[in-house]
Amino acid sequence: MATFTTVGKPITRVEGTHKVTGDSVYAADVQLPGMLHCRLLRSTHAHARITRIDTSKAQALEGVERVVTATEMPKVEARRLSNRGYNLLADDEVVFAGQPIAAVLAEDASVAEEAIELIEVEYEPLPVVLDPIAAMAEGSPLARKPVSDIDRSEARGHVTVNVEEKESGKPSNVASQARFSRGDIEQGFAEADVVVERTWRSAMMHQGYIEPHATVADYDAASGELTLWTATQGQFFVRDQVSSILQIPETKVRVVGLELGGGFGGKISLVQPLIGALARLVGRPVKHVFSRADDLIGATPSPQCVVELKTGMRKDGSLTAIQSKVVYDSGAFPGAPAVVGGILIGGYYNFPNLEIEAFEVLTNKVSVGAIRAPGAHNVTFAIESHMDMMARQLGLDPLDVRMKNAVGKGDEMPSKQKYPSIGMKECLAAIAQSDVWRSRGEPREVDGKRRGTGLAIGGWPGGLQPASAYVELNGDGTIKVVVGANDITGTNTSFAQIAAEELGVPLEMISVTTGDTKTAPFAGMSAGSKTLFTVGRAVKAAAEDARQQLFAIAAERLEANPDDLASAGGAIRVKGSPDKSIPFRRLGGITTGFGALHPPVVGRGAITARQQAPGFTAQACELEVDTDTGEVTLLRWATAQDAGLAINPLSVEGQMQGGSTQGIGIGLWEEMLYDDQGRLLNPGLLDYRMPTALDVPNIETQIVEVPSEDGPYGARGVGEPSIIPGLAAIANAIEDATGARVTEAPLTPERILRAMGKL
Amino acid sequence: MEKLVVRYTINGRPHEAYIPPNRTLLEVVRDELRLTGAKEGCGTGDCGACSMIVNGRLVTSCLMLAPQADGAEITTIEGLAQDGQLHPVQQAFIEKGAVQCGFCIPGMILAGKALLDRNPQPSEHDIRDAISGNLCRCTGYTKIVEAISAAAASNGA
Repeated sequence: MATFTTVGKPITRVEGTHKVTGDSVYAADVQLPGMLHCRLLRSTHAHARITRIDTSKAQALEGVERVVTATEMPKVEARRLSNRGYNLLADDEVVFAGQPIAAVLAEDASVAEEAIELIEVEYEPLPVVLDPIAAMAEGSPLARKPVSDIDRSEARGHVTVNVEEKESGKPSNVASQARFSRGDIEQGFAEADVVVERTWRSAMMHQGYIEPHATVADYDAASGELTLWTATQGQFFVRDQVSSILQIPETKVRVVGLELGGGFGGKISLVQPLIGALARLVGRPVKHVFSRADDLIGATPSPQCVVELKTGMRKDGSLTAIQSKVVYDSGAFPGAPAVVGGILIGGYYNFPNLEIEAFEVLTNKVSVGAIRAPGAHNVTFAIESHMDMMARQLGLDPLDVRMKNAVGKGDEMPSKQKYPSIGMKECLAAIAQSDVWRSRGEPREVDGKRRGTGLAIGGWPGGLQPASAYVELNGDGTIKVVVGANDITGTNTSFAQIAAEELGVPLEMISVTTGDTKTAPFAGMSAGSKTLFTVGRAVKAAAEDARQQLFAIAAERLEANPDDLASAGGAIRVKGSPDKSIPFRRLGGITTGFGALHPPVVGRGAITARQQAPGFTAQACELEVDTDTGEVTLLRWATAQDAGLAINPLSVEGQMQGGSTQGIGIGLWEEMLYDDQGRLLNPGLLDYRMPTALDVPNIETQIVEVPSEDGPYGARGVGEPSIIPGLAAIANAIEDATGARVTEAPLTPERILRAMGKL
Repeated sequence: MEKLVVRYTINGRPHEAYIPPNRTLLEVVRDELRLTGAKEGCGTGDCGACSMIVNGRLVTSCLMLAPQADGAEITTIEGLAQDGQLHPVQQAFIEKGAVQCGFCIPGMILAGKALLDRNPQPSEHDIRDAISGNLCRCTGYTKIVEAISAAAASNGA
């Protein structure tokens, strides 16, 4: 195995000092002269026709600059309205409670808030469709007008799968469906010694980033240029959306993705086109910061999901068949991850016979978006519960049956795509050696509480998108790296490591900048566990290009062959002749100074990735259940994850621990609750309960390294897999502890007591 | 709404602002005094991103009306580093990899500092308890607990 100088080392964040001193600038910190503050009036009805809007009282309030409704927004072709982005302000029909109807622009945010209360809206209620299963039935009222021309460009940034969704022919709430089959399903179940059949439900939940959505927009009428400072994982995606919705050429949209206070798939593009339109309308800068309630009511949460699952296993632990119907509630606009859900539920294990249908169904709730591994935890809850239940019924070890059936390189996904190199078995082997798993005993009672241990795996195919980067030599010999990817997980630190490695210079000589959309080379969105996988490759290619240019100049200066040169410690040397060398500082001077004889060194890296590097993880936990109250206390948590090659182990561990903790939240507490009229009942962080430091144990990490074919140094994406297995691992541990199987998540005390027959 | 003057000593320096009385301490410090290290994550005191130390106590500044703090001694994240030297808690957060997106970090570090000021040798449970009003969505808390623990150890050394 190759040895590295900088790659593979636990390097602290390059921007760490700014973040601990409060100096990092987030979108809500931006203040411009003459800036107006925006608040949005959101629909109180989940489905209704707007019959009247009266803004006169709001407009008359002191400090209000302007109240804006749909009549002043750019006109959009009707066919585009199926895409949420084009619905700037609701015109005629509202399709979820929380949909923006009007915007108030005022001198300060509290005046704007006050003015919102003064806007009068009359609604004519329409049938509200909330349950996705009922919504699929023949004769169900429609949640909205039939959809067409669905734009899936955002979803494809998170996961790239070679399957075309079928869109429904006649008007229906089913926005799309996919079907996968293999072998003979009847024969498969006939061969099974045990068949388990259950229905699994998991709740709508929120990404829970601590920074609410925020955007500041400024329009320069003279140049026709719109600038947006915003919280986004994908500044080029925002640019493209703003450009196409507001009909401004991409050259005149500058999106500045500032420091991002968490995204987890939920911060791509949301109200940026609206805020841009408002700034253009009034000719002053406009700032809009979501309240937490806005964010819970009106962002893009993770979907509710219902999975009907039937699986069969032989006495020896081999799997015979899987049959499943996966239904995601997409909310009022298409965008739920039906295809990937269908692929994952049948894609972790080798099932010789398979029949899977997946549906994306429209209802009158806020439309969903990506989350860390969109759709994965929902189906993993089902399949990983079944693996345990079948093993239990056959008296087999739950880890052994997983290992026996686990997919590996060359195995087929339900979509018939073949897996490249993956590390699922290696993760299982690693978790088998964890203290949590090795010390598991018989389910036992301690202080009147039942203890149990559970295990689950998760995998994520990952996304693909082209990427580019420059690596340039400065006059003083330091190195400038410019990328277009928004750094949310420490990727700029890893890019610095890659550039330092390729150029043979100390890390301190490298500075990585994320440029804006007018200055940076293109990068796809920082999503789909692909930032390091794709942009990292571009940085590596750009650094290699710069190195070749540097070596050519050094060779000329040192009168040596470029092949005989090596770079180390900030100088290029002739191998075997220690006194023949030229420092980077000198190379900087002779490529940038007056009358310099050599051209500047500018390395260019531009790549397109054609093959994903799916990431797997296995997690195990020990917990105790209070059998009187149903309360669960987590005692220990271990995770093993395949990073391909961990370019920065400190960052990789952070991703593993953070994702595991989100998985714990999904498992035990997080649920967006709606009333029978489609209004969110818990739009605050007291009632939408995310894990605190007291709720979770230390998360023990083990990094597994099975190199990917295409990632830089064999690295693969690590962001998403870690959130996937938590819910299932907890459910399996609860059954281990109590004998009760809970089929609806989150696994609340009430549901646990019900499953135990105590309620 | 009739405005009034509020005066604070923030990070050892006097500040004053002329504000409507319904403003929160967080709004005044961020919008009027332009110290934007403290963040608003929820506006309801549930996330702790707006934490400041007011007269020696950790408070969620989004829940405190600005006039209530009139005359107070306030420490914000901007006041922790002295003469370019990071506070041990800040240093430990960097070294232990406890910083990811960074949005909760100013509040989290102040919660850690407030703990160590009153309990220089906390147990793991003490640390988890002290930061339980500060939500972090990125780290899963493990490295944050390690960082505060390491800062305590370096203080004792």
